[in-house]
Amino acid sequence: MSKRYVMVHDENKCIGCQACNIACRSENEVPEGVTRLQVRVEGPFGEAPNLHFKYHRVSCQQCEDAPCVSVCPTGAAYIDENGLVSIHNDKCVGCMYCVAACPYKVRFMNPITKAADKCNFCKDTRLARGEQPACVTACPTDALYFGDANDSKSEVAQLLNTKITYQDKTHLGTKPRVYRVPTKRGGIES
Amino acid sequence: MIELNRRHFLKGAGASGATCALASTLPGSLAALEKSPLKGVASEVASICEMCSTRCPIKARIVDGKNVFITGNKEAKSFGGKVCARGGAGHSLLYDPQRIVNPLKRVGERGAGEWAEISWADAYKEIATKMNQIKQQYGAETIAFSSKSGSLSGHIFHLAEAFGSPNTFTHASTCPGSYVVAAKAIFGTKMKRDLSNAKYIINFGHNLYEGINMSETRGLMQAQMDRGAKLVVFEPRFSIVADKADEWHAIRPGTDVAVALALCHVLINDNLYDHDFIEKYVVGFDEFAAEVQKYTPEWAETISDVSATAIRRIAHEYASHAPHAVVDFGHRATFTPEEFDMRRALYAANILIGNIERKGGIYMGQKAPGYNKFAGENVAPALAKPGVKGMPKPTAIRIDQVEKQYAMMWSNGGIYQTILDATLDAKPYQLKAWVMSRTNPMQTLTDRAKVEQSLKKLDLVVSCDLYISETAAYADYILPESTYLERDEEIQDKSGKNPAYYVRQRVVETIGNTRPSWQIFKELGQALGLEQFYPWDNIQTLQLMQLNRDHSLLEHIKKMGYVSYGKPLMLREPEMVTEFVKAYPNAKSVDADGTYASSMSFKTPSGKIELTSPKIEGMAPGRGVIKHRDVQLKQVDELYFIQGKVAVHTNGATHNIPMLANLMSKNAIWIHPITAGRLDIHSGDAIRLTSSVGSEEGTALVTPGIRQDTVFAYMGFGSKNKELVRATGKGIHCGNLLPNVIAPICGMNLHTTGVKLVKI
Repeated sequence: MSKRYVMVHDENKCIGCQACNIACRSENEVPEGVTRLQVRVEGPFGEAPNLHFKYHRVSCQQCEDAPCVSVCPTGAAYIDENGLVSIHNDKCVGCMYCVAACPYKVRFMNPITKAADKCNFCKDTRLARGEQPACVTACPTDALYFGDANDSKSEVAQLLNTKITYQDKTHLGTKPRVYRVPTKRGGIES
Repeated sequence: MIELNRRHFLKGAGASGATCALASTLPGSLAALEKSPLKGVASEVASICEMCSTRCPIKARIVDGKNVFITGNKEAKSFGGKVCARGGAGHSLLYDPQRIVNPLKRVGERGAGEWAEISWADAYKEIATKMNQIKQQYGAETIAFSSKSGSLSGHIFHLAEAFGSPNTFTHASTCPGSYVVAAKAIFGTKMKRDLSNAKYIINFGHNLYEGINMSETRGLMQAQMDRGAKLVVFEPRFSIVADKADEWHAIRPGTDVAVALALCHVLINDNLYDHDFIEKYVVGFDEFAAEVQKYTPEWAETISDVSATAIRRIAHEYASHAPHAVVDFGHRATFTPEEFDMRRALYAANILIGNIERKGGIYMGQKAPGYNKFAGENVAPALAKPGVKGMPKPTAIRIDQVEKQYAMMWSNGGIYQTILDATLDAKPYQLKAWVMSRTNPMQTLTDRAKVEQSLKKLDLVVSCDLYISETAAYADYILPESTYLERDEEIQDKSGKNPAYYVRQRVVETIGNTRPSWQIFKELGQALGLEQFYPWDNIQTLQLMQLNRDHSLLEHIKKMGYVSYGKPLMLREPEMVTEFVKAYPNAKSVDADGTYASSMSFKTPSGKIELTSPKIEGMAPGRGVIKHRDVQLKQVDELYFIQGKVAVHTNGATHNIPMLANLMSKNAIWIHPITAGRLDIHSGDAIRLTSSVGSEEGTALVTPGIRQDTVFAYMGFGSKNKELVRATGKGIHCGNLLPNVIAPICGMNLHTTGVKLVKI
């Protein structure tokens, strides 16, 4: 059975420290000025003292129904056998349809390769060596989980079964494979 | 917050591209060298990070000969094999074209930014000639030596000792000094906190989710997530740790001591304290209990703005989780001139619930010699200390050795800022020169204008650094140190609950003409004619001396990078003691209660925990008992100005590193919406802050995450020298707004002051 790679981002554990961002950059040689991954610390929302930040992971959502793939005129954007949204650099003509079509605004033109680029869960680098993606490896507070959701014994499959999660912009029908565990504010005034 | 970050991110990316041409004109920089592929020394090397002072164990791998990928070393369990953004960006420092890779000599006025390359031999010769001249004319003590405390600081201080100067300084009085000195006054030793096992944690602005210390950051998150610990945060700003807390109380800046004492008041008056523990192990309880009678929660509320109801409730909740509960004693300990009693009050709240040497409490730690004694066998090798015989004894007093109240600091890093008074006002005598290593006092000492005047007045300023930092910009000579990825160092003791060692090793061959600072200060010592004090050739000789020439042990430590021995031991934790005794048949016999409690030894005059200290009373009459004293941190028409750490930068050190500068190159000023509304200030507006010593222009960030009477900025930004191209002129320079203060007993400088805010 093919794999169904998913990422789970636990927003309770995320501290917005950008260790993931730097690890991604370092492993995948992401050039200056563009980014495959960052966590945006948004807010604070609410009224003092009941404020909270939102820790929003911004990266390719690995959509099962990916707009970037359907608009690509040359077949450069494609979904591989394990469901990873991928790019044939040599087929990319730089038309930027995919950049415009991505509802998550996470595709960009790589100034070195001149092809469209984005997070691919480190498929060419760490995954190819049997390692976890760079962001997961680095995350100081263990806020990221990665694995094959088709394997019922995997940590991610169990997490998806036992934790409340949400995905971004599901109303668009993109079926993203990045899941988020929402922040749960703790009890106050006992 | 993030909108600004994002904008800066994009701007930063553009700016660094535009500055390449400028940087290439900087003599001695890496840009002047031709770029060649990196040569790694092994496929994967275990080492120690140096992007901040936590010094996490790392593993580094060369990727395609042109990049280094850094992760944590999984051998160190509490660090989890993780690195933060700074740690991961080490290769960005290594490869930075603006890094200095050849010795430089000033050719224009001091601070004018005119440099010429010089050979190591000539630099040593010229510096040594000048130093020896100063020594002959004015005395060796007129040269001050300072260094960021850490792995190689011992080498510059060895040079100072050999040369005959008592004036050595670390950054202690600008950061951790007071919690160290307070612990030594009470316990006779430094203390560690066992956050990961705590069930209730009270935190006074120790922002472990931005000032990342990997094992403690992870410990705090594990306590919260895996053990359901409750976290209560008192902090004037809504920081990340405040966000992750169960409760955030926006305490008035600098009034933490009042809340801590009120917590102690409730613990004592509501009879929530551990009578048995106090009776057996603590002296001075009665004096303390009498003193805290007046520190009611209602009193504390009037000072701190934390409600009395909350203080009472928190004290009860905290005590109900005893002993597996902790009051965090903090890290950047520069909130108030009453730092010493603030930190002592935080320790007192721990002592009262008897969490000493208990899981989730605070503990002393186990190094090899003590641990082996408990075990009755040699579980862990003890490190030898290769001393040098016949070191000269300085005849002069230290410049901070005037008042006896500071006596504890003389051997704990000194009072760094006394260099300013000694230089500018000859107090207690005139300094003539300053030799420094990996320290950036223009950023980290307060009152920048005074630091600049001092640097300009001295006869000789020498700086060993990676960049032309804001301070190095005023040096006569810059001696470029190799980065940590290019250095070998001595073995470090990393013991916690059980003994552990780790070691820094070079990952790549040295780029350019840099040297490790142990070598720089050895060679400078030789140029000074002090070769008899350097009986070692290199780091490997020193490592072998440390390990009593045990080659295989050295190889083992180098291969693993981090080696720990034995089982974790906290002396009053019955489970741990039982496991320990089971593992070591010759272990010391346990007390009737199944612990080693009676074996706790405190290096205080009484041998016990000194809640009230006759020794401190002797040093500074009236200060033996922990007390609250009124302090004025601002004028009535001013706002409090406070600072803090951000997860992507380290103090005054990392702001020019390309990857980190791209993440964040500016610090906006956090202003409460009501305060901003009164002055018609909106996010993104240009504003000016003016304090008693300086004025800075910056950008407003209007946010409810700050008190109305307070403004906040992340520290370390706004460098003013032209050489740090990515950092210079970006954001506000906090040190330029902070007055030069020396706090009683602990000698701390102060990071809370008053400022006036205007829109410009």
